[in-house]
Amino acid sequence: MIDLTGKNILITGASSGLGRAISQTVASQGATVFLSGRNETRLKETLNSLSGVGHFVFPGDIANFSIIEQLTKSIIEKGIKMHGFVHSAGIEKTLPFKSSYPIVFQEIFNTNVFAGFEFARLLSQKNIANTEGASFVFISSVKGKLGAPFNVAYCASKSSLIAGSKAIAMELASKKIRSNCVLPGIVETEMVQGLFTSIPIEVKENIIKEHPLGLGKPEDVAALVAFLLSDEARWITGAEYIIDGGYSIH
Amino acid sequence: MKKNAFIKQLAEFCEFSETDFSFDTKLKSIDGYDSMAIMSMIAFVDENFSIKITATQINALSDFNSLMNLLGKEKFEDD
Ligand SMILES: NC(=O)c1ccc[n+]([C@@H]2O[C@H](COP(=O)([O-])OP(=O)(O)OC[C@H]3O[C@@H](n4cnc5c(N)ncnc54)[C@H](OP(=O)(O)O)[C@@H]3O)[C@@H](O)[C@H]2O)c1
Repeated sequence: MIDLTGKNILITGASSGLGRAISQTVASQGATVFLSGRNETRLKETLNSLSGVGHFVFPGDIANFSIIEQLTKSIIEKGIKMHGFVHSAGIEKTLPFKSSYPIVFQEIFNTNVFAGFEFARLLSQKNIANTEGASFVFISSVKGKLGAPFNVAYCASKSSLIAGSKAIAMELASKKIRSNCVLPGIVETEMVQGLFTSIPIEVKENIIKEHPLGLGKPEDVAALVAFLLSDEARWITGAEYIIDGGYSIH
Repeated sequence: MKKNAFIKQLAEFCEFSETDFSFDTKLKSIDGYDSMAIMSMIAFVDENFSIKITATQINALSDFNSLMNLLGKEKFEDD
């Protein structure tokens, strides 16, 4: 059993899907969780579902980068040191390439990539990062490795996370900060409900068929993330973990 | 938007092999009507009408008339 007792972990996208499941898992393993998301009501629902006490909520739109600075500043003011960061916030747009204008890339990258790296940049500073080391986990996607039709901007954003995480891993290893990526296949969350209504039925059926173990559950991914946040993973950095029920075998 | 112009622009955007269709042309009978065309229709409607339709809604449509009804008859004028 993974033990995260005494660890302070900030999780973006905590109001829904994977971010919520990760928050629940790490709290059940003893961590104090700092929850980030836009929808305050849903963020509080996550908070109320957590084991333990003393967790924090930080509602706000992280595509507005000044929010990230305010959030980390408020943690520093409390004198808290952070042991972990999970970037699960993400948006997806299903569009043909011909409609993937620069503004679409900009919007997707702001949340999926730039906000994640801005959090990591601020959380890696001496006045907030735990001196014994910390672990960053970026939720990428198997699509960031393999590509997918109608998802060019999203795939590009998820691929950027992989390269950026490796560079962070190299640069921050001397501070004992580890950085890894998790690349899920399709997991049943709200994002996927949205995706499945926007794509033609035969495309949806193909996607399901292509997952030999079926679609994933949020807690399947949460278990892997919790491991990467734990001291058990102390020798793992710059890695990318595919977790996709076999989707990428072929 | 004029009905015929709408159909022509949509057909061009979807890259169908022809662009002259009547209002009651069956969508599924069009050469090149596939999943790429459906995604293109969704994007075209969003870009031109700021309306988000789903693939499931498109699948339920029979012809261009039913698409225009879905988007709202008042948005179209006869030529
Ligand atoms: N589900 C899958 O199959 C799958 C597969 C591979 C990778 N992923 C990745 O896993 C991550 C989580 O996905 P999910 O399925 O859990 O999606 P989800 O249910 O749609 O949740 C997305 C989360 O991101 C937050 N978010 C989005 N934009 C934000 C912004 N500008 N500021 C603050 N928070 C923002 C949302 O907050 P609000 O709801 O409060 O706005 C929500 O908590 C994403 O990065 C996604 O790309 C998912």
